[in-house]
Amino acid sequence: MKAVRWSIIVLFLIVMIVPLAWLMLASFKTSPELFSAPFKLPLHWQWDNYRSVLESHPIPKYFLNTLTIAVVSTLLAIAVATLVAYAFMYAFKFKSGWFTLLTFGIFIPTNAFLVPYYFIVNWLGLYDTLFGVALVYAGVSLPLSIMIIKTYMESIPKEMIEASTIDGAGMHRTFFRIILPISYPGMTTAGIFLMITAWNELLFASLLTQSEGTRTLQVAIRFFLTTFSANYPVAFAAMVIAVLPTIVIYSFLSDKIIGGMTAGAVK
Amino acid sequence: MTTSRQIYLYLAPALLMTVVFFVFPLIFVLFVGLRDWDGIGAMTYVGLDNFRSLFADPAFKTAVVNTVYWILAGIFIHTPLGLLLALILFKKPAGWKWLRTIFFLPNVISTTALAFLWYFVLHVSLGLVNNGLKAIGLGSLARGWLSDPSTALYANMVPFVLYVGFTMVIFLTQMSTISPELYEAAEIDGATGWQKDRYITIPLVKNAVGINIVFNTAFCLRMFEYPLLMTGGGPADSTLNLSLYMYRAMVTANQYGVSMAAGLVTVAIGAVAMLLVFAFIRVWDRKR
Repeated sequence: MKAVRWSIIVLFLIVMIVPLAWLMLASFKTSPELFSAPFKLPLHWQWDNYRSVLESHPIPKYFLNTLTIAVVSTLLAIAVATLVAYAFMYAFKFKSGWFTLLTFGIFIPTNAFLVPYYFIVNWLGLYDTLFGVALVYAGVSLPLSIMIIKTYMESIPKEMIEASTIDGAGMHRTFFRIILPISYPGMTTAGIFLMITAWNELLFASLLTQSEGTRTLQVAIRFFLTTFSANYPVAFAAMVIAVLPTIVIYSFLSDKIIGGMTAGAVK
Repeated sequence: MTTSRQIYLYLAPALLMTVVFFVFPLIFVLFVGLRDWDGIGAMTYVGLDNFRSLFADPAFKTAVVNTVYWILAGIFIHTPLGLLLALILFKKPAGWKWLRTIFFLPNVISTTALAFLWYFVLHVSLGLVNNGLKAIGLGSLARGWLSDPSTALYANMVPFVLYVGFTMVIFLTQMSTISPELYEAAEIDGATGWQKDRYITIPLVKNAVGINIVFNTAFCLRMFEYPLLMTGGGPADSTLNLSLYMYRAMVTANQYGVSMAAGLVTVAIGAVAMLLVFAFIRVWDRKR
């Protein structure tokens, strides 16, 4: 039994690691080497591949664009979701109806909203701007953010609100003084989820931007295939540059990231 | 005192965003789906013409069938593989925490990057798969996995089907809530490892089965990057799915009306899929 289990583990490990390792190795080869000796180590490590990527493409700019969109959309969605989640700590009319209205979007395949989102962003004058993309990301992820933060706030004892009310604090004061400071863990969890989804999104980013100045990393990766089609190792180098930061950050924060990514599903 | 007016203040921003990004789009999709529109000029009401041309288009039929295949692959291959890995890691083999971290890695790297990677892994001449087959003397099996119409769709699904980290973690999280006493009792009764999986673990993670099926179904309905980057929908539209069909109708053909008619079909398929999944979970719940 143990042998069977370990062979399954090893099989999956191979699928995870070998393609990535192969890509990294290949990014240091010359083009003819890639075809003639696919499994050998590079004869001479071609750091030039990396240099030519960085010289021909404003990769730092793509990073900055992607980071801007991810941060702005995350802050926006978290702020809005935290406010609603706080409201749901109180009793009010049609509470469950409100909840359904604000979270039914989880089950909508938002790729069906290509045209409306394009229309809205254009109408707001935000086509081909970073904020336009960030706004759409915040909107699309809002239902799941509400779910995550509301679930966290439900673990806060209601007595804390009652005590604060008895002390004479109003709803706003209770929010800023009592609830907000202890809700950060829930907000962080949702934030991790939002950052990673925004960082990795392709469909709306390609739909809502067109110029080099607003290009995100994912849109850039999409174009690597065509711009570097003559020289695959350079395309691989571009790819390594694009995913390496994610892998490095993940290796330091893997537990937090796994928790954040799956928080919307585990309830 | 807390008044309901104050509560609405906290609800207002979320309500605004929900109206802008979910309620209005739903209405707009229906509106545009019944019109002929190139995105710039005037819209003309054409009734159900867009739907008629959709259902007459063989590419649309392929896109619907392929999307359903993706969902089925998610339910019947991806989810069971995730459960299998979770069952193995739940026995806490040496280094299981590392393994969990490694298996989850593809869920952090973008699908765009993975699509790019697998385009080359399955590449006909320089690909890892074909060269691997040649190296072990099975060169006759090598083929253009992504350009051969008989394998393209399945080859396209390979990275999704094999990268089960997310699904696995959902299962593992629920498994960690099972009381260890159940296993101790089973051991006293002489249960084998497989019997413990079969009669304790699997029945107690059925919630996670439901959650995973819901998440993977939603993921497959939205699937865009793998078909776009690995095959571009080809060869001969054989790997087209609904996302790519809508994107092409809008961006390439400027047929916004047709694109949104397809959008409406996508939302409808999503609703039907979710209803089926929830009905299935309910029936399963009653059985126990």
